[in-house]
Amino acid sequence: MAKKLIILLLLLLPLYSFSQGAHFRDRQMMVKSQLEPRGISHEATLKAMKTVPRHLYVPDEYQRWAYMDRPLPIGYGQTISQPYMVAYMTEIVNPGPNDRVLEIGTGSGYQAAILAEIVDQVFTIEIVPELGKRSKEILQKNYNNVHVKIADGYYGWEEEGPFDAIVVTAAAEYIPPALIKQLKEGGKMIIPVGSPFMVQQLVLVKKEDGQVFSQNLMPVRFVPFTRDD
Amino acid sequence: MKENNKLFLSLGVHSAAIIAFQLILMQLLSVVQWHHFAFMVISIAMLGFGASGTFIALYRKKLINNFSWLYPFFMILTGLSMIIVFPLSRINVIEFDVFRLFSDYSQLWVLAVNYLVFFIPFFFGATAIGMVFIKIPEKIGKCYFANLVGSGIGGIFVLFLTGWLFPEKLIIIAGILPVLAGLISYYRKKTGLQFGGALVSLIIAAYFLVYPFSLNPSEYKGISKALNLPEAEVEHREPDTHGIIEVVSSPALRYAPALSMSYTDEVPVKKNVFLNGNFYGVIPHNVSDEKHIHQHTTMELPYVMNERNNVMIINSGTGAHISHALTNSASVIDAVIDNNGVLNLMKSTYLEESGGLFKHENVNIHFADSRIFLSGLKEKKYDLIKLPIIDAFGGTAGLNSLQENYDLTIEAFDLMWNALSENGVIAVTSWMDYPSRASLKIASTLAETARNNGIEQPEDHIVAIRGWGTITFVLKKNRVTFTETEKVRDFCNIKYFDPAFLAGMENIKRNHFNKLDDSSFFDYLDNLILEENSDLSKDYGFAIDPSTDDRPYFYQFLRLKNLSHIISIYGIQQLPYIDLGYLTVIITLIQSAVLAIILIVLPLFRLKNTGKKKSNVFLFFASIGVGYMFIEIIMIQKFVLYFGYPIYAITAVISTMLIASGIGSLYSARIKNPGGNVALIALIVLLVLIVYAFSMTNILQNTLSFSRPLKIIISLILIGIPAFFMGMPFPMAVRHLSNNSPALIPWAWGINGCFSVISSALAMFLALEIGFTAVMIGAVICYFIAFAAYSGDIINKIKIAFQL
Repeated sequence: MAKKLIILLLLLLPLYSFSQGAHFRDRQMMVKSQLEPRGISHEATLKAMKTVPRHLYVPDEYQRWAYMDRPLPIGYGQTISQPYMVAYMTEIVNPGPNDRVLEIGTGSGYQAAILAEIVDQVFTIEIVPELGKRSKEILQKNYNNVHVKIADGYYGWEEEGPFDAIVVTAAAEYIPPALIKQLKEGGKMIIPVGSPFMVQQLVLVKKEDGQVFSQNLMPVRFVPFTRDD
Repeated sequence: MKENNKLFLSLGVHSAAIIAFQLILMQLLSVVQWHHFAFMVISIAMLGFGASGTFIALYRKKLINNFSWLYPFFMILTGLSMIIVFPLSRINVIEFDVFRLFSDYSQLWVLAVNYLVFFIPFFFGATAIGMVFIKIPEKIGKCYFANLVGSGIGGIFVLFLTGWLFPEKLIIIAGILPVLAGLISYYRKKTGLQFGGALVSLIIAAYFLVYPFSLNPSEYKGISKALNLPEAEVEHREPDTHGIIEVVSSPALRYAPALSMSYTDEVPVKKNVFLNGNFYGVIPHNVSDEKHIHQHTTMELPYVMNERNNVMIINSGTGAHISHALTNSASVIDAVIDNNGVLNLMKSTYLEESGGLFKHENVNIHFADSRIFLSGLKEKKYDLIKLPIIDAFGGTAGLNSLQENYDLTIEAFDLMWNALSENGVIAVTSWMDYPSRASLKIASTLAETARNNGIEQPEDHIVAIRGWGTITFVLKKNRVTFTETEKVRDFCNIKYFDPAFLAGMENIKRNHFNKLDDSSFFDYLDNLILEENSDLSKDYGFAIDPSTDDRPYFYQFLRLKNLSHIISIYGIQQLPYIDLGYLTVIITLIQSAVLAIILIVLPLFRLKNTGKKKSNVFLFFASIGVGYMFIEIIMIQKFVLYFGYPIYAITAVISTMLIASGIGSLYSARIKNPGGNVALIALIVLLVLIVYAFSMTNILQNTLSFSRPLKIIISLILIGIPAFFMGMPFPMAVRHLSNNSPALIPWAWGINGCFSVISSALAMFLALEIGFTAVMIGAVICYFIAFAAYSGDIINKIKIAFQL
């Protein structure tokens, strides 16, 4: 019986390796075809996007589409953003190796994993307990610099602040005042505006000289008469 | 009871159930998904009517021979399917979610299964009705009368009960009716089958009445998201004619739309009110609060410019804008609300929690439609007329584009302008949308309103400020003064807002605190406000010209002529994210046309010996099908404005039209020589419609502010006259066919059903693209075709007359 099992495992091994290899190839292709042509050039971000196995953060039934250029549902009305959005949001806050970054809305955990590849410490908060537990499990298995808290992101993470960057992945009708307070002078906060499957608009918030500025970044630029990608 | 009377009674009850089921299903689908999806599903499901015609045509003899047991049996099957289809559609495997369609293409199959599921009750229901028509064609007038009057009563039944019962229970009651109709028409044949079917149906119905199925709205609906928050619960739930009202509480539910980044205090926790699962408003807290969260948003603009004593709040909802006005010391606030359920809630259950807001001494609550309220104003003038916030945070992907909105048409703004005091302003806030659509449409509407009212330089009367998420516009009756401009600048500096449009703009930074990467937004804004008949409205990729009463779809931004251009910019896959509602209409139109041909027309070709005058029959029944539906849609739209409450208008129009048409069909039985006179009736309808095309809008506008009883009488007359005559052509032509070519009757039934279905989507498409006038012209053309198709004799006479 044991012999049969070993033979079966040996037979399955190449299949497993093939599937892992396929995912590796998918990631390289994702970076090459979706990120680089659209202007993502931040080396650390590209490296992280090539490294993190996105399919592990996607529900089983959607794994075959994990590396495609689209967001995917993860339940509870939430999505895992399309790879380009994740890369763009990471690049725009210009994360450095010594940074402490706060993420609001852990969701699938994928964005936190990308940040964990680049920065010193990632603090991430999820309000939906079921999503928080799921992502905590996978993140803590793979990273020791990610801290997950199941709580209301409205209050931020005061005791760990201030932060060099804040990445808000779950959009709200307002920017919580506590997050602005917990942003370092010169720090950057990125917030998506838009419903899950709609064209998302990103807002960059900067703290400079005691004042707060926002900048609307338009990944999908609208020029009515000519195409301008 | 006589056999025929039993038959007519059962037919009436059965018809009432079908229309009731259709209306309740529409509401249920709007709760679990969105109303445009409901429109799409019902349009396809209604093909069941057409398909039944084909089925009857193919099995005519068998159905007639077994009428005595098949007729009640089909009714029982209708009831059973009505009871089980909705809970069935919520089973995980076939639970459809419109948003998933764009990420999970297997949802296409799920959608197809949903179509099929909802098609079944309509198919069985229509088959039972059609069987009566072929069984006693000589009594078609009475049959049609029972069918139409029953349908009309079904509509009223729903209107009456939706305020009392939740739709998940109401649909079960609607399902019991056909079962009872089946038992009424019991013929002592195949007793076991009939009684067994009825018993099973009633047991299932009783189960669902005791243990109602849960609705499980889409996880992307506002209420589902709110309920995912910690400690979230529905603390109040009640049925209403407008839909299901639910109040959700959670310590994580806060309200501060596009709050200023300079705000450092706590954001207040508020209970959220949902209508059919969509966000409707928040329960405001104690109004004696010195601060109001709106004071830290762009919505504060009108109060920054000047004092506002007399304030009108349009569609005041749960009262957030009322409490904002009170915080700003408004002394008289006229709040107009059209939702009685929410009004009662705020006046009773949540009165104390909201600090007695709806009974505050400075607040006058008007339960009315805003347009009707505005039309009835005589001398009263306001310092501020405030509209509800436009669009939603992050956009709505055109989910509202099919919803007529008479508060945002150019005619509505003209009425508001006339109600302003000398320094009065109209204030409207919109969420910033990308690409810019709603914000630019507001700008063009305000500029045109000013020009319509004799202002040559609207730029001296318009102010706009922009935050990171919203833009607020103000249109002032008098010129904006230097002092006001300075106040606006100071406010913007303190709150980190940017002036988007302000007199003396040369020296202001419009793109400072909230930077837009694409600054062309400001060029568009300037163009729309500064230039009369701006070319931008025509050339811009989206429809940003003001909406009108003839085309009151403020949220519709896509147009057919620009579709290819928009696709070239965004790609076809992005289109649904921009305007899902508009696409729904096009998809529904195409789907229903294709499916109608496959399910209804093609199978009819299997029939032999259908007679020589098939093309005439085709033309006649197709054109009266389209014409009737076009008129119904126009009447609904016109009376939504007239009565102000869509649900009442829809039910009143449908029920009045059906009952008047029923009476017409009953009367038509007395008309001898139906073949000879049907053209005459079509001609009468045609003439009535031409008179209506020129006069109806005027009559409605001039009587808009009349008392409700008087308006009901006017509407009964206006709807009843054409509907009476429109009820005659179908039974008369069927009677004529039964004498000459009875084999063509199934064709008539099928073609009529098929075109009725296609025309509902077609009418919507025409209304969106060209306006209601086009739909009216379409209806006139249809009745002309109907006249021409049956006027061979008359035309021959004319030809002979001309030859002579």
